[in-house]
Amino acid sequence: MKHIRNFCVIAHIDHGKSTLADRILEITGLVRKASVNQMLDSMDLERERGITIKAKSVRIPYKSKNGGEYVLNLIDTPGHVDFNYEVSRSLNACDGAVLLVDATQGVEAQTIANANLALDAGLKIIPVINKIDLPGAMVDDCSLQLYSMLGLRIEDILLVSAKDGTGVSELLEAIVDRIPPPWGSTDEPLKCLIFDSFYDAYRGVIPHIRVFSGCVKPGDKIMVKSTEKIFEVEEVGYFSLGLAQSPGLQAGDVGYIVALIRNAGEIHVGDTVVSADHPEVPAIPGFRMSQSMVYCGIYPIITSDYARLGAALEKFKLNDSSVVYEKENSAALGYGYRIGFLGILHMEIALERLRREYEQDIIATMPSVIYKVVCTNGDILMLDNPSKFPPVGQIDHIEEPIIRARIIVPSDYVGPCMELAEAKRSSLVGIEHPDDRRAILIYDLPLAEMITDFYDRLKSVSRGYASMDYELNGYRAGDLVKVDILVNNGVVDALSYISPRDSASIKGRALIYKLSRVIPRHLFKIPLQAAIGSQVIARADIFPMRKDVIAKCYGGDITRKRKLLEKQKEGKKKMKMVGFVEVPQEAFLSLMKIEE
Amino acid sequence: MRGLYIHIPFCAAKCLYCDFYSVPGKLDLREKYTEAVIREARAYSRQSFGTLYIGGGTPSLLGPQNLGELLAGLYDAFDLSGLKEATIEANPESVTGEFLYIAQDSGINRISLGVQSLNDDELSKAGRIHSAKKAIDALTLAQECGFANISADVIVGLPGQTWHSLEHTLRTLTGMQVSHLSVYCLSIEGGTAYAACPPADLPGEDEQVELFERARTYLQQRGFAHYEISNFALPGKECAHNLNYWRGGEYIGLGAAAASHVKGSRYKNAATLEGYIADPAGARIEQEWLKPEGKLAEEAMLRLRLLQEGVDTNNIAAEYGCEKVAGLIERLDGQVALKLLVKQGTRYLLHPSCVMTSNRVLAEVLA
Repeated sequence: MKHIRNFCVIAHIDHGKSTLADRILEITGLVRKASVNQMLDSMDLERERGITIKAKSVRIPYKSKNGGEYVLNLIDTPGHVDFNYEVSRSLNACDGAVLLVDATQGVEAQTIANANLALDAGLKIIPVINKIDLPGAMVDDCSLQLYSMLGLRIEDILLVSAKDGTGVSELLEAIVDRIPPPWGSTDEPLKCLIFDSFYDAYRGVIPHIRVFSGCVKPGDKIMVKSTEKIFEVEEVGYFSLGLAQSPGLQAGDVGYIVALIRNAGEIHVGDTVVSADHPEVPAIPGFRMSQSMVYCGIYPIITSDYARLGAALEKFKLNDSSVVYEKENSAALGYGYRIGFLGILHMEIALERLRREYEQDIIATMPSVIYKVVCTNGDILMLDNPSKFPPVGQIDHIEEPIIRARIIVPSDYVGPCMELAEAKRSSLVGIEHPDDRRAILIYDLPLAEMITDFYDRLKSVSRGYASMDYELNGYRAGDLVKVDILVNNGVVDALSYISPRDSASIKGRALIYKLSRVIPRHLFKIPLQAAIGSQVIARADIFPMRKDVIAKCYGGDITRKRKLLEKQKEGKKKMKMVGFVEVPQEAFLSLMKIEE
Repeated sequence: MRGLYIHIPFCAAKCLYCDFYSVPGKLDLREKYTEAVIREARAYSRQSFGTLYIGGGTPSLLGPQNLGELLAGLYDAFDLSGLKEATIEANPESVTGEFLYIAQDSGINRISLGVQSLNDDELSKAGRIHSAKKAIDALTLAQECGFANISADVIVGLPGQTWHSLEHTLRTLTGMQVSHLSVYCLSIEGGTAYAACPPADLPGEDEQVELFERARTYLQQRGFAHYEISNFALPGKECAHNLNYWRGGEYIGLGAAAASHVKGSRYKNAATLEGYIADPAGARIEQEWLKPEGKLAEEAMLRLRLLQEGVDTNNIAAEYGCEKVAGLIERLDGQVALKLLVKQGTRYLLHPSCVMTSNRVLAEVLA
C-alpha cells in the first residue's frame, strides 16, 4: 500500500489536462508514443460500451528514480457547477491532486473552485504550470497567483510542457514524493467509496470504487449502504487501457466491481459499499441522492418516433443515473417525456447527448423548477410543469424553490456581479473576503432565475472569472403567475411558463416577438398572444404569406421545379404541427433563453 | 400531338434578373449552332409535331438567313405539315422586317415579344437594352408583317414600378391588339446579378402581389382569361405549345439546355454552347424516369397551373389506373378541406385566392 498514489488532475477547461494524461501514459511506458493516436481511435469503440479510459481512471505502473516500483492511480473528475457534489465525491477517492494552470491564461475561476474543494477534502496539492513552451507563457505571474489566490508555496511549483514532455518526469517523481500513500487496513472489514460508474450492455452497471479498508474479491457478497441491496461480486479489477481483471482489490486500491447490477437506480455515486457480512460498518459521510432541480419536456419532432425516444432514454439513464423521467402528454406536441436534471448545465449536456449520441430529433420545452402550488381549498401541489397548474381562480399562492448561491469572484468584478444578482430577485446573505483579491458573495435567489441565464451572464460580467455553486434552501412564496402562450387562438401548453407578475409582460412580449420571428408566414393570419388567465399581456400577428409561387414553369425546368416543391415539402417534415400552424423547432429552442 | 422546342441561347447582353441558359456575345457561332440543331433533329426519327416553339435566349438574334436555314432543316428532318401553332420569341432591339418576313414565309404564325415594360426607367434598371419606343416599333412591325397572333412578356415587380407605370404598359399593349400576355412576378434567382446586388427600390412582396392582382383584374376586364398562373389570353389565343407542357404532354427539345419529355421520360441537353456544337446528339444529360405514382402526381401538379381547366382525376385514372390515383385524390381532397383547392365533380382547381401562394398546395399535391 505504501507504493500506491491516488491522485487527480484539476484544471480549467483547455489548460492541458488530456495532453498531460497522454504524456504521463507515454513516459511511464503504458502507451507507446506511436500508439497514442490508435488509442484515441479505439476510444470511440470504448465509449459505446460506456468506458472512456482517459476520461475516467487509469492505473499506471511507475518505476521511480528512487528505485521503488509504484502504482499511480489517475482518477478523473467531472467539472462543472451542477456536478459539484460529484466532483467532491471523486476528490474523496484521491489522496492528492495535481493543480494544472495554463501559463498563458493564469489561474481561473473553475481552478479556484475545484482547488478549494480539494483542499477541503484534505488533499495534498502539487501546483503545476503548464504550456511553458509557448511564447506567451507568464510563469512568474502564474506563480504569484497560485501563491496569493490559493496560498500555495512558490518553491513547490513545477514547470511543465505537457506537449513536449518537459518537466513531466519531475512531476511523476513529485507525485511519488509529495502525495501520501493511502491509509487504511486490509484487516478491517470492507469499506469502499463509489466515485463513478458506467453501464456495460452485458455486465450491467459497473461502479468505480476506492477501497478504504478491507479487501474484495470475486464471490464476496457486498452491500450498498444507502439501499441495503446485496450483490455477489463476479469480477474485480483495475483500469489499465480497458478493464484489467485482478484476483482482488484491497485497501488503498482504485478499481471496479462487476456484480450484475442491472438497474442504474440501485447504485449511486458517493454511496458506500461494505461487506454483506459486516453491514454495521458506517457509510462514508456526505452521501446524498442526486436531486432533480430542473425539469423540461422533450418530444420527438416526428410523432411516430415516440417509441424510439423511449428506448433511447432508457439507455441514457443507464449511463447517467442522475436523470429521472416519466411519460408526458402535451396537447400541442403529442406524446413525450418529462425529464428532471441536476441543473441547467446538466440539462444542456444531457439534451445534446440525446441528440448526438442517441440520434434523437427532439424538441425540448422551456425548463421549469418544481413549484409548490397552494390551492384555495388548502391542497398543496408540487408541480414541475406549468401546464399542469390549476386554473387561476383555484390558486391561493405559489411558492418557488430558493437556492443559496456562493459566488467566488475577483474583487474587481464584485460590482457587476452584485448588480446582476440584484436584478434576479435575490437577497444578499453575506460577503466574505478570504483574501484581498477575492470576495465570496452569498445570495439567496429563486432557482428559476438561476436556470434562465444567470450562470452565462455571471460568466460574462466577470469575464469568466466568477464561479459559483449552490444548494437548495427551501421554498418562498412569490407573486407568481402562470402565463399562457396562444398561437392562432389556441393555448400551446408546452409554452406556458411561470413568471413574477411584475416582469410577466416584459417576458411575454419578448417571447411573442421571438415567436413572430421564427414561425414562418402561413396562408392565413396567425395571432400570437401571451395571457394570464383571460387577460392578454402581449400580442403580435404573423401576417399571411402573399407570394410563394413558381411563376415560370416550362418544358426545360419542370424537373427542377418539381424538385423545388419536393424540397419545400421535405422542410415541412421538420415542423411541429400546432393546430393548423407549422412551428419550426427553432421556435421552441429560441424560447429556452430569453434575454432582457 | 407532340411539341417541338428549339433553344437559341444567344443574347446581346444578360438581363440582370435572368437565370435562363443564355450566352451573351459569341454571335459568330450562330451558323454552326444552327447546323448543329439541324444535325440533332436528323438524329431523331422522322415524326410529326403539332406545335413549334423557338425560344431563348434571343432567337431574333439568329438573323434572317440562319432562321431560314434552321426552319428549312427542321422541315426537312420532320413532318411539320400539321403545325397548328409555330411561335418564335423576339426581342425589340434585334427584330427586323426581313427577319419577320422570313419567319412568316417559313410557317411561323405567332410572335412572342420580350417587352417586359414600357417604362424606360424600369427597362434600364432591369438591364434591358431596348427602349419602350423600340418595343412599340417592334410590335407595329410585327402587325404590319401580318402577324395576328402576338404575345408579349411583362414583368411585375421591377425596381421602381408602380401601378401607374404597369397600367400604362398593359393599356398600351392591349390597345395594340396583343392577344396574349405572360405576366411574371419578378423573382430573384440565385446566381443572377439581382441576387448579387439587389436593387434598392424593388417593390416588396406585398406590393408586388398587389400589382399582380390589379394587373389580373385589369386584363380580365378587357376580356383576357387568366388561364395559367402567369398567362393571360383572349379567347382561343392560349399558347398551344405551352398548354402541352402543363397538360403533361410530350415534346422534343433541340439545342443546348433544351429539355424533352418522351414516353414518360424527361431528359435534357447539357448547357454548353461549344459542347453542343461539337456533338449535338451526344449532349444529352439528366435522364429521369418517374414511377407511375410520381408521374401522375407531377401531371396533377402541372395541370393545376391551368386555372380554368385544373386536373380531372377521372382522366388521370383512365391514364394510370384507378388504384394508382387513390393517394392523389386523398391529397387533393385534403387541400379542398383547407379551401386551397376547389372541387367540381372529379375536377380540382386552384382556389382563385391562392394562385400567388400555390407552391404549398402544389407541394402537398406532389407527395
